Amino acid sequence: MTPQGTTGETTTDWSLLARIGQRDEEALSALYDRYSGLVFSEAKRILRDTGAAEEILQDLFYQVWRTSARFDPAKGSLAGWLLVAARNRAISKLRRKSGISEELDENGVTLSVDVELHAAQNLLLDKVKAVMGSLPENQREALECAYFEGMSHTEIAQKTGQPLGTVKTRIRSAMEALKKVLS
Amino acid sequence: MIQGEHIQLEELELFALGALSEDEAAALQAHLSGCEECATKLAQARGSAALLGFATEQGRPAGTVKAELMARIRANREAERRYAWPSKMEAPQGGGSTTKADTRRSWWNWVLVPAAVALALVSFALSWQNRRIATELEKERKTAESMIRDRQQVEKMVGVLAAADTVTVKLTGTRDEGNANGLVKFNAKAGIVMYAAELPPLPADKSYQMWLVPASGTPISAGLLGPGGHAWGNMWTGEVPANTQAKAFAVTIEPVGGMAQPTGPKVLLGAT
Repeated sequence: MTPQGTTGETTTDWSLLARIGQRDEEALSALYDRYSGLVFSEAKRILRDTGAAEEILQDLFYQVWRTSARFDPAKGSLAGWLLVAARNRAISKLRRKSGISEELDENGVTLSVDVELHAAQNLLLDKVKAVMGSLPENQREALECAYFEGMSHTEIAQKTGQPLGTVKTRIRSAMEALKKVLS
Repeated sequence: MIQGEHIQLEELELFALGALSEDEAAALQAHLSGCEECATKLAQARGSAALLGFATEQGRPAGTVKAELMARIRANREAERRYAWPSKMEAPQGGGSTTKADTRRSWWNWVLVPAAVALALVSFALSWQNRRIATELEKERKTAESMIRDRQQVEKMVGVLAAADTVTVKLTGTRDEGNANGLVKFNAKAGIVMYAAELPPLPADKSYQMWLVPASGTPISAGLLGPGGHAWGNMWTGEVPANTQAKAFAVTIEPVGGMAQPTGPKVLLGAT
């Protein structure tokens, strides 16, 4: 299933955030419609639990509502921040670590591609999946263990029985391939 | 890991993926906190890592999630509105410039200080009221206990007086202390009721004690006629073992609290 629809997609994330800062509920609703699918899907991929993923989704957008004034668009992409924050929270829940606090204005995420339009999101989804599908199995496994399971390179090395250096190389190679999506 | 003065991008990407060990991550954090250039590169590395969020099968959350979110937001707005600084009222003035944190503290003080005072007053009032209620409850409890004792006394007297096999024993004074006299109603099963009249007052350390003189054996105490005794007006009830056969009744003057056997002078005496 992919995000669909084009209604109201001409407003930038920054404009929506500015309106959220003025307590505009419709702006938050629009932002939620824009990114809830991505955030929810990522959290669910990590947790494999619909309810837990929905909880993270709701908490994250509630945080956006409460702390929108602190977000500095110069420091990065809101979509990127949402994805990173959702991933961190899901990993924390998965590994029962203490909560990770992400301040909008402290942890910048530069996503050098515009995904404000659902069409752009769909395009990127297709590209990333294509790249992941093209990666050697061991590279994809190492990357997914790190991102979706929160494993350190040491843990991945233990799991796969490969030397630590090999694991690092695989992750780096996979990341290089992934970044080509943006070029 | 750290090449020259800065962190290599590859390391930052591993950091962004969460793939570094805790020690390695801590070392990077220490550098990042003071290096704007590396912080900028970390933002890029995070962006690259975030691409993996697009490598998932897309789904949709339940509609109720958004509805609950909007409800939370409205509740938050309502709280903000309710506790907003009064528009016609100025914040307390302090010397020098005021930081945002100071403003927040002042705002909260405006709300919290009166609330704390009000809570203290309410707490004091409740404490005082609790003490008053506890005193009243204790008083009521004692009254209720007294009423219960009186009722039990009356029921016992009625039981003795109404029984068909109750016998009456007239007591007469044995000393020259006026016209002291008495009357005993005795029922071997229901107990003893004694009416005493014109008994002279006793010193504080003395008490009248009623005795049942059985057909055989030593006298049995039937209770006190005074402090510690069971009275209803001038009528007293006494306790003796059930089915005791009485030969006579007597009243003596004994130390307060009574004695196991009569030791003092007889005041009243009467045979069955």
